[in-house]
Amino acid sequence: MGDILSISHLTKRFSGLVAVDDLSLTVKERQIHTLIGPNGAGKSTTINLITGVLKGDTGVIKFDGKDISKTPTYKIAQMGLGRTFQNIKLFGAMTVMENLMVGAHKNTSQGILNFLWNTKRAKKEEEEMRAHAEQILKQINMYEYRNDMVNELPYGLRKMTELGRTLMTDPKMILLDEPAAGLNPSERQDFIQHLKDVYDSGIDLFLIEHNMDVVMSISHYITVINFGAKIAEGEPKEVVNNPEVIKAYLGSRFKAD
Amino acid sequence: MKANRKTIIYAICLIAAIILPLVFGGNYFISLYGQTLINIIIVFGLNFITGLTRNMNLGTAGIMALGAYASGILYVKFGVSPWLGLAAAIVVGYLIGKGLGYPSLRVSGVYLSLTTIAFGEIVRLILNNTMNLTGGAQGLSNLSSYSIFGFEISRGLPFYYFLLVIMLIMLWISTRIVRSKWGRAFKAISDNPDAAESLGIDIAKVKVLAFTLASIYASFGGALYAHLMGYINPATFNFDMSIDFVVMLMVGGIGVVSGNIIGAIVVTMLPELLRFLGNYYQLVFYLIAFIGAIKLPQGWPAGLASLWKWIVKKTGLKSRKEG
Repeated sequence: MGDILSISHLTKRFSGLVAVDDLSLTVKERQIHTLIGPNGAGKSTTINLITGVLKGDTGVIKFDGKDISKTPTYKIAQMGLGRTFQNIKLFGAMTVMENLMVGAHKNTSQGILNFLWNTKRAKKEEEEMRAHAEQILKQINMYEYRNDMVNELPYGLRKMTELGRTLMTDPKMILLDEPAAGLNPSERQDFIQHLKDVYDSGIDLFLIEHNMDVVMSISHYITVINFGAKIAEGEPKEVVNNPEVIKAYLGSRFKAD
Repeated sequence: MKANRKTIIYAICLIAAIILPLVFGGNYFISLYGQTLINIIIVFGLNFITGLTRNMNLGTAGIMALGAYASGILYVKFGVSPWLGLAAAIVVGYLIGKGLGYPSLRVSGVYLSLTTIAFGEIVRLILNNTMNLTGGAQGLSNLSSYSIFGFEISRGLPFYYFLLVIMLIMLWISTRIVRSKWGRAFKAISDNPDAAESLGIDIAKVKVLAFTLASIYASFGGALYAHLMGYINPATFNFDMSIDFVVMLMVGGIGVVSGNIIGAIVVTMLPELLRFLGNYYQLVFYLIAFIGAIKLPQGWPAGLASLWKWIVKKTGLKSRKEG
């Protein structure tokens, strides 16, 4: 198995503050990899660097074998790297169905001129998009909400809509920024199950997560960072018993495990 | 049931549009109806860039002027058919869209507004000062009408129906675009640009597309305007006109195609209805538009609809009707 994502010697400074400090990590194909660390450790900055929202000062990021360190965000997404946001970023003025269909935009091929005269193909493309969205909505148990405005949905369902929208892009890998945040325990269980299904369907996952129950139940591999630098990595069992991780992040609660 | 009711409403509107000039005619009014139809077409275009992607465009009059002059100059100086003039206007609109779109995307908000205002004013000044080509402040006159198979579409009723057909075609195209992946992409990049980018949407490209569509519509409308009036001069295409198009968009409800039509009709016809006010009509007109913008930000039709719902709820009118 090769590496789907690799980061080497990545550094990002914000006028004096080193948010990410010489960080190197690799995410192997067919693995659920989780990044953990205390608040302000540079987790979100790392995701923003990977997705091209921020540009690193030094270092190389490779996705699927290609250097994406200087690639614009939309091109990285077009290469098959999907993401969800910590504070859910949906299109509030649209329905669930429309949100998902925007996700498929990049995979459509018809240009605007062709769209104007070739109404048949336009219709077919629209129908295919809709069918794809319906299939994904059924997969994430949201079919009944398809015509609801996303702004009127409860938090958990909005989170699910965002996941569905990312799935519409046919990603090779999804970065999830705190997927369990704001969910109640039963929603959380549900969400984890959906993430496992997504993983089983062949999409690799890279998560940032605070909730240790979620981390332990889903991760194959964990990287721990603190002050922007990597302090440990390995399989979940090893990592939670690492004294440095316990000191920096977990506290003594996890020592007994 | 609901779709049926919509079809009936559309049919009634269409019939009204067909018989209106027959019932309430006269040269002046028929020309005004024609201008209304052209304004509707231009607002359809403005809807893409200002309505859906929420980028203020205050240079519409300038774009319209270039379309009008492209067709006008080709006819007056080179004897080119107005039909080819229409095609030329589309090319001009495309070039403006690409040429003005890319640089103006670097700026947004107030700065974009200023850029587009500057564009409109520059166009007007150039038209005023290139005497040989544009006739300067006196403009171009004796522009012919369109003709089909040797028959001239004479100004008056035939030209009105000709414009009505064109407007309906543009309505069809606009509705299709708004409801397609393009319409969703336009809305997406203004609603949440970060999310749109994370889905692989090239925001710059989508914005330029919306802007290009808007300028093609405006330039196309300008060419129609030139041959409807038979006479154009730079003073017509002033800043007030650009503002009027934005007001039409706001009155009709931003982003809604059927609202575009209502907005264009209201704003084009309202000055006529307010004519009895004499010199004060503009004051009253802009006051109405101003109050509308504050009190009914989702547009007058939607605002009136919710007002109606409120009245129905308060008076219990509906329950009696249903019972």
